[in-house]
Amino acid sequence: MIVGNLKPLEEIIESLGDYKNIFILGCGGCVSVCLTGGDRQAHQLATELDHIRHYKTGKPKFTVHTIERQCEPDWLKEYLTIPENTDAVLTLACGAGVQTMAFFFETLPVIPAVNTTFMGSNVEPGVWQEMCQGCGDCMLGHTGGICPIARCAKTLFNGPCGGSNNGSCEVDKKIPCAWAMIYYKLKKTDQLHYLMKVREPKNWQPAGGAGPRKLVRPFNKPL
Amino acid sequence: MRYFQVNDQCNGCLACVQNCPANALRAEDSTANRVLSHNMARCARCGNCWRICPQKAIEFQFMLENGWDEVKSLELVFCRVCGVPIYSVDYRRTLSEKLGTESEPTCSKHRDEVTRAAKAHFLKRKSPDIRSDKRGGAI
Repeated sequence: MIVGNLKPLEEIIESLGDYKNIFILGCGGCVSVCLTGGDRQAHQLATELDHIRHYKTGKPKFTVHTIERQCEPDWLKEYLTIPENTDAVLTLACGAGVQTMAFFFETLPVIPAVNTTFMGSNVEPGVWQEMCQGCGDCMLGHTGGICPIARCAKTLFNGPCGGSNNGSCEVDKKIPCAWAMIYYKLKKTDQLHYLMKVREPKNWQPAGGAGPRKLVRPFNKPL
Repeated sequence: MRYFQVNDQCNGCLACVQNCPANALRAEDSTANRVLSHNMARCARCGNCWRICPQKAIEFQFMLENGWDEVKSLELVFCRVCGVPIYSVDYRRTLSEKLGTESEPTCSKHRDEVTRAAKAHFLKRKSPDIRSDKRGGAI
């Protein structure tokens, strides 16, 4: 899922400018699951922002709402009602949600409250780990299900660097070396021969080298 | 079927309510009881309630395995050749309205056969006229 982290409160307050009526919109999707931008965090943020000490010219009025996913423009059109007199929308969605909102509400400023951080998984309670960089040409089948692009600090694709030390990365000893992990995993699954295989160069065009990516399902339209 | 289920270990500590990121759990203290409620539409199924529960009281497997709720029952139309169900009566009506004509209730297999048979019949009927056409044009 997409993992995000709330921006510093000072940055959010500064971005609110002189707007007087602010609609805080949580997202019930990925950012809710990673405890960043769901309904609870939207209300918490409203409580934190609703202090007169943050503002020189009077505090704005906040209205809070959450929609299941902000990256679905037809949902927004059908089910999202923006309160009257709203000056700006402060959204807790990821970058995809913010851009969908900005596209959909042409005349309304949309302000992000979250930094979209990475695609990852919940490796233990309260800990999310980057797992994927969306290269568009997955090679996890050859690397024991461990992505060297996302999990090597240098995104090295063809093997470890000289800084791999007893399974740790030279960037930070707490970071395990992705290529060491790949080696041990392939050894466990009796697939070490994968490392010896000479492969064609990876196609980096699906990684974004051919411009912004788009997926089209031509048949997914109402009758 | 209730998807969100809590076992007898629950002691009402409210850890789940306080840690649900989607505000999908609610506790109400009435005169005699503390009542926990779950809102499926709000629930992100993140499993944080299950993860955080100190009593291991949340039976999250029902949120993952769950059952099927019947939401609608519609009368069917069957293929007039082989009798397999094709679509609903309502779908056929929509299709007819969009096409401006009544569709033949045949499955994809027999639709082709019926089309071929109709075409052959049509050609057979038309062929004497075509042969007699002085211009001798192709069909």
